[in-house]
Order: sequence, then C-alpha cells, then structure tokens
Amino acid sequence: MNQEELFSGMTQAIIDGDRDRATGLAAEAVQAGLDPVQVIDRGYVPGIDKVGELWEQGDYFLPELIASAEAMKGAMSVLEPALARGRLEAHTAGKVVIGTVEGDIHDIGKNLVAAMLQASGFEVFDLGADVKLERFIDQAEAVGADFICASALLTTTMNNQKKLVGLLRERGIRDKYRVLVGGAPASRKWAEEAGADGYAENAVAAVKLARSLAGPAAGTAGKDA
Amino acid sequence: MNGSLLDLAKARTVLMDGGLGTELMARGLPQGSPPETWDLERPDLVEDVHRRYFAAGADIVSTNSFGGSRIKLAGHGLEARAAELNVAAARLARRAAPPGKWVAGSIGPTGKFLKPQGEFTEDEFTAAFAEQAAALAEGGADILLVETQYDLREALCAVRAARRASSLPVFATMTFNALPRGYFTLMGDGVAKCAAALAEAGISALGANCSLDSERMVGAVRALRAATPLPLVAQANAGQPVLDAEGRVSYSQGLEDYVRFVPDIVAAGADFVGGCCGTTPDYINAIAEKLFRRTS
Repeated sequence: MNQEELFSGMTQAIIDGDRDRATGLAAEAVQAGLDPVQVIDRGYVPGIDKVGELWEQGDYFLPELIASAEAMKGAMSVLEPALARGRLEAHTAGKVVIGTVEGDIHDIGKNLVAAMLQASGFEVFDLGADVKLERFIDQAEAVGADFICASALLTTTMNNQKKLVGLLRERGIRDKYRVLVGGAPASRKWAEEAGADGYAENAVAAVKLARSLAGPAAGTAGKDA
Repeated sequence: MNGSLLDLAKARTVLMDGGLGTELMARGLPQGSPPETWDLERPDLVEDVHRRYFAAGADIVSTNSFGGSRIKLAGHGLEARAAELNVAAARLARRAAPPGKWVAGSIGPTGKFLKPQGEFTEDEFTAAFAEQAAALAEGGADILLVETQYDLREALCAVRAARRASSLPVFATMTFNALPRGYFTLMGDGVAKCAAALAEAGISALGANCSLDSERMVGAVRALRAATPLPLVAQANAGQPVLDAEGRVSYSQGLEDYVRFVPDIVAAGADFVGGCCGTTPDYINAIAEKLFRRTS
C-alpha cells in the first residue's frame, strides 16, 4: 500500500466508523515511520470532515457520528505516543472546557459536541452535567483554555449561560476566552443576548464555529512540546 | 372505558393536553428540580394544571411522570422512589379527571443511551420502564403513553415493558426532525421503520410530538398516515423557546399561528391532537373551538 492509499484508507475508516481499521492503519503508519502530524492531517481529519458533511445533509445520524468519533479516538491513541516521541504536536485548534450548566442534567448534546471537537483535534476537558459556573472558570484558568462551551437544555437553566459570561466579566477575564453556547433553547440571538461569542445548532456546526473562532493562539505542527 | 377512547377517536378528533413542565414552572417549580417530585410535594398545583386542561376541552391528560423512570430519576438521586412517584402521578390525574374523561400515563425517555452509544442494556431499560408502567397502571391510568422518543430501540423497550406490565393500551409518540430526505429521529429512524416496528410490538396508536412546530407537524402526520393504518397522535411544539431581556421564557409560535395549522394536522390524518412544549390550556381551548366549530 502506498502512502496515498494508506491515507485514503484512513479517511474511509473514519467515514465507516470502523475503529479496528482506523487503529490498525495508524499502527501501520507508525511502523512505517510516517510523520504522525501528516497522517492525522491527510489521513484522518478529511474523514471526520466528510462525516460532518454527511450529518449536515441528513445522511448520517447520531450513531454514525459517535462511531466515527470513536474510530478517531482509536487512531489518536496509537498516534499520540508517536507524536510524543517525535516531540511533535498535532495541529491543535485549541483547548476547550465544556459542560452542561448547573441545574441541568441533560448531557446528550454536550457529549456529542465534546466528542466531535475532540475528533477534530481540539483538546477537550469535559466537566460533565450540572456544573457549577465557578467550576467552568476555575478549570479554564487551570488549563489555559481557549474556549468555554456551556450547554443548557432547559429554558430555566439557559440563563446560567448568561450568568457565566457575567461571572467572567466580574473577574475581569472575559476577553481571555471565547464562550460558546448550545442546547435546544439556545439560538444565535440568545448568544448575543447572553454576551457569548457564538452559538452552534449541533455538534458539527460547533466544530466549524470553534475552528472559525480559533485565533493565532492555536498551536502549529512541529512546535516544541 | 379504554375501548371507548379508541371508539371516540373514530367518531371525532380526540383532544389531548399541552405542555405540563412549563405550566409547573410557571407555578414556581424550581430550576433543575424534577417535576415528578411535585406529585408528592405540591399535588394541589399539579392537579390544578390537569383540571385546567380538562376545563379547556381536553379529553385526555398526561400524568406528571415524563421523567419518572428510575434511570432518569437516578440523575437526581430519586431512583428508589420511582414506583411511589408514578403511582402518585396517576392518582392525581385520575382525581382531576371528570367522569368519562381519560388519563394517559406518561413515559418519557431515560435520557441515557443503549450500548454501543451508551452504557445501558435493553434489559436494564425494559426493567425500568416495566416498573414505571406498572405503577402508572396501579395509580389509575387508562392508557400508557410512551412519548418523545428519539431512539426506536428505546421506544421498543418501553412499549414491550408497558405491554408486559399491564393490560392497558399503549400509545407511542416519536420525536422527528424534518430533513431533506424526510422525517427522522435523532438516531436516524425513519417514519416507516418506526411504524412497522412499533406496530409489531403491539401499540394501539402511533404519533409524533415535540420539536416540530404545528406547521411542520402537518408533513410528519402525512408521512405517518402513509406508513400505517393505526390511529395517529400529533402533539406539536409552539415553535422554539426564546428568552426575553428579563429572562422570561416564551415560545416562537404564538397561539393564533399555532392553531391555524391544526385543521391541516387533522386533515393529514391525526386522530388525537394536543400540544407539547410551550402550549398552554389556552392553546387547547383554542384548538377545541377551531376543531369543533369546524366539524360540528
């Protein structure tokens, strides 16, 4: 198998949500001594991008999305040691702290956004559901996050998204983070109202939004670890 | 009595109720608190909502037990009280029901996923739903309404559990999204697939609820009617929730616009019509006026 065939096989394994194949091909690439950054960028990322397209067209649904994200995770678990050995970093679009706001135990949408962001190369810190607003901020400060993503599924808890932004302002650190909001009752208009930087309707849109907002802070390949 | 509910649906459109959680919040249900706790703590307020829906013209109201499976309640540490809460929910609705009116025992999703997407097995889901169904039957429900389902596999667990745990008729409503290729659940189950599998599992009526507003519900009902001869249920949302500057919630589809599409929903084949998120007793009252002026 030449390199192009290997890359297209990786892309297809992600599209098919085939974790075994995605992981196996990653091991082959490592064995062959290929540059893991290139493997990720040319082999796997095009797969997750295609999965996003298929979801947007209504051809893929939640099970396919999760299977593809899992396949991506499998491949990354093989490639990460190789990245570390080569003192390389994958193209990381940034660090994300994500959770469902306090008072709200719904986590299906949030989990999906976290999985897709991770599959798309973001470093994700998932705080779970019913997360105290202070915890979002403490975690973001601790890891040097680029994004804080707050999910709310209830009309009664979406106000906490707005409070989160207020709390960041009170602490004088609002501008350090890009705050994204999501969840059934949220909307672009609500994001503006809440003082957030953006709103995404679903997990695929969230990846696009985060990518578009990822600033110069994003890492570059080959940068010292 | 059950037979006569399905008989009534042959004679005229049967009116269901509208949003319950939103009504309880308007009466002070605290943020993040599971509505089911009010079946024991504020039974007067829950009963008041049921009574208002009956007064507005509803033939059947749904019990305050949507999140009453032990798996869902576990999120609040209330799993051990599942049976007690569901019995209480059904008793309250029963007490509010005038003679000749009906009570639907509401069974909503667990909020968790089955393997491989999640951690749960079908046996675990089925056991939780069976406990809930038995308690709702014990409390006096006339039918069991498996509702707002986004995963056909989970809906089948609930329907089978309900059929096993009681002799009551089981209705099932799925939550569909309107996509270019048709109507699909979050998990990708299409209308025809849902209709075939749920009919096989022994439901007495099939439907769509939540997510879609009343205009989009027309198309969903049409698709369901093409897929099954079963009686159909339609409970549309009043559009999407929006918050105003003061943090008050309202829904994007106002009453008049919502009610405008109800005759089309009926013409498309719905036998049971009610509302979902954002609808109130006023919406049900307006539907009653619109439909019964039209058919009588």
